[in-house]
Amino acid sequence: MSNIAGKAYAMNVVTPLRWYTAWFNKLMFWVSGHFNFVTKGLQTLSLIHYARWVVIDGSQFPRLSDKQPPEELKYTYMLFFSNFNGSWDQYVDSFSSAIPTGLNIFWAFNIKYPCSVPMLPFHRYITANQIWTDHYYNAYPMAASNDVKAAQRVRNGLLGFIADTKDSSAQDFQLKYNQLLMTLQHDVSQMGPNPIVSLSAWAVEDRLRKERPAAGA
Amino acid sequence: MANQMGNAYALTLLCPIRHGVPQQCPEGLGGQTSAACVRYLLQDVMRVSLDSPMAKVPNTYLSRFYILEDVPYQGKPAKLEHLGSNYLVFCADFHGDLDTWLTGMWNAIQPEICGLLQYCFGFESVHDCASFITWIKKCQVETTFFFDGSTDEPLAVQLKNLYLKQEFSKFVYANQGNGPETIQANFREFVALTQPDNIDAPTWKPGAYGLDKVVSGLKTQGAG
Repeated sequence: MSNIAGKAYAMNVVTPLRWYTAWFNKLMFWVSGHFNFVTKGLQTLSLIHYARWVVIDGSQFPRLSDKQPPEELKYTYMLFFSNFNGSWDQYVDSFSSAIPTGLNIFWAFNIKYPCSVPMLPFHRYITANQIWTDHYYNAYPMAASNDVKAAQRVRNGLLGFIADTKDSSAQDFQLKYNQLLMTLQHDVSQMGPNPIVSLSAWAVEDRLRKERPAAGA
Repeated sequence: MANQMGNAYALTLLCPIRHGVPQQCPEGLGGQTSAACVRYLLQDVMRVSLDSPMAKVPNTYLSRFYILEDVPYQGKPAKLEHLGSNYLVFCADFHGDLDTWLTGMWNAIQPEICGLLQYCFGFESVHDCASFITWIKKCQVETTFFFDGSTDEPLAVQLKNLYLKQEFSKFVYANQGNGPETIQANFREFVALTQPDNIDAPTWKPGAYGLDKVVSGLKTQGAG
């Protein structure tokens, strides 16, 4: 069981809401999807790789066979999934501090939602409704979301610089190289494991270490 | 459609798990329920990103599996209610369209994914890629709102970008204080080694932990 894959944390939260208020949540999500001013707050949380909300009622749970009993749920459920960097506390507090209003809109009318501020009741609400991930895969465990975005700027900058300095003198090259570094100064940094990555990777390495003698025997 | 934002696709599946004890169980799990078999496969066989089968599925940024055993109860005066089945919840964030990605998944990890999904209702109808895609789409639920906080590039481009960011950062550090001629000469070596316009190599391997394991396709060591 692991909510962590490298620098990414997988959060799953399932919360109920009444069917006759679910339409409001869906409307808010529709507005958020069509007007940037709502998601502007989310974009400031640059620690998020991807996040999604799924609002479904009992009749929308997939039924694949007659042997499978139909779901008879009175509530509609909101499933929240997020992939973010940092610890659980950092993430939840970032949400709470940076976009408290947006958070309240997204979770509006969810049963017993305590609002995003103050933080302690909000922490308890998320903890009570969070479900642990059984398997989590991340294509770039060594990189944070900000690294992915910075790396795009670095490569684009480098490709332009290479074309621009193809026939440059050493002095001209130096001038443009310095300009490149000024442009990319927020993006040039080496990635390395942080303590959370180390703990997660250590658990894997430990398991493999234990298995190796058995495999060799 | 909320499943997509730009070129990024948010796939959400709720795969109903069969009730009771399956006829075929993983070794050592005889008498366990289908849900227990699925959990065992997820936790002990697929493991984490280091050697996840998902690393073989093209263009997969992130994915997760968990078992939804029941819906959370909020305490009185809320109503207590229960799910009729356990659901294997699967989410993937990937680049491109759904059919292409599912075909890539089938081609790359058919044994692993069939081994896992065989415990779900209706999976006996799956016998090839087309029936697999049909079954998956029956399990799909529409994403209400999808937020893409990343760069909307194919995974191979993102991994190449990350490789270059790392190597160029080392280059900048190593060349501090050098004169123009030296930096220019070293940069030419750096470009020859890292091949910034070649997406395929050298680059970072998907899912690799540790700086000593992450680079692939590097022909020579040295510069930078």
